Amino acid sequence: MIFRQIVFYALLVGAISGLVLTVAQTWQVVPIIHSAEVFEQESASVPAIEQAGQLARVHDHSEHKHSADAWSPDNGIERTAYTLLSNVLTAIGFALAIMVVMVASSSLNNAAVTWFDWRHGLLWGISGYTVFWLAPALGLPPEIPLAATADLEARQIWWLFAVVSTAAGLAGLAFGKPPWRWAAPLMLLVPQLVGAPHAPGAMFADQPPAAAAQLEQIAQQFIGATAIANIAFWLSLGLVSAWAVRRILSPSGNVSPSGPELPPEIESSSV
Amino acid sequence: MQHQASGTASINASTFSISISKPIQLAAALLLGMAILYAVGFVNTSAVHNVAHDMRHSQGFPCH
Repeated sequence: MIFRQIVFYALLVGAISGLVLTVAQTWQVVPIIHSAEVFEQESASVPAIEQAGQLARVHDHSEHKHSADAWSPDNGIERTAYTLLSNVLTAIGFALAIMVVMVASSSLNNAAVTWFDWRHGLLWGISGYTVFWLAPALGLPPEIPLAATADLEARQIWWLFAVVSTAAGLAGLAFGKPPWRWAAPLMLLVPQLVGAPHAPGAMFADQPPAAAAQLEQIAQQFIGATAIANIAFWLSLGLVSAWAVRRILSPSGNVSPSGPELPPEIESSSV
Repeated sequence: MQHQASGTASINASTFSISISKPIQLAAALLLGMAILYAVGFVNTSAVHNVAHDMRHSQGFPCH
């Protein structure tokens, strides 16, 4: 039952790489989100940052109002725990997707792409990073809270479009036959040429100029910080997925029929 | 081992009496993954949004 095996290993891969992501985020990403939220709370209560003296009290007030609108996890342990949960769930989803493609590609019986050693793990990880992070980020860089954005639905559609198109392009490059193979790079370009939806005007136009300047700087740092956290995430996800796919495929002998790397005796009894 | 290597879309259910073809199983796993990603990354209900907020921002999922 390959479905059951993939799901089982995806839970494991997701737990590991979700943890890696959470640790990587605590270094820069989460502190940056928090520092942007300080501005968010300030602008919700007092329009100008000059009134900093009164901030502590008003700030408290606005937080209460905020949590009355809709439940949200408290800052600290609770918030980190929910972020860990979301990271792990996301990682499980990504692991399912990438492992399905890895297993399906093993049916091509091409030892060059279906070896699944650690180098292939890295390559799959980089591909996942390109498809799910880099390509969407070229059009829609990860944003800090408060940034002005276009309509959410339009951005979600473009995100999906960028992911699907980039995945198809990379798959064409890796597995395609000549006529298709040369068309594949076009698929990588199309979403970028179409362009992501953006809000008109400056990113922090509704902020006082001093705050806007500071926020723009934070926004720049955030892109770099997420790029680093996500490459760590995807490399770990690719590596652990390659290990898992080898284990899934080895009992049935489907992985690289010519591969000397595959000890035939491993767990022939485990399925 | 050699004779099994050719059966790329083989039916494999050594512990189950029902057998489902490999492509369908793979499609089901992919669908499950996409459903999870949709729930965590795209659903805009405020409780889900607030739980997944920091992940969405750092993963580059469109947010807010």
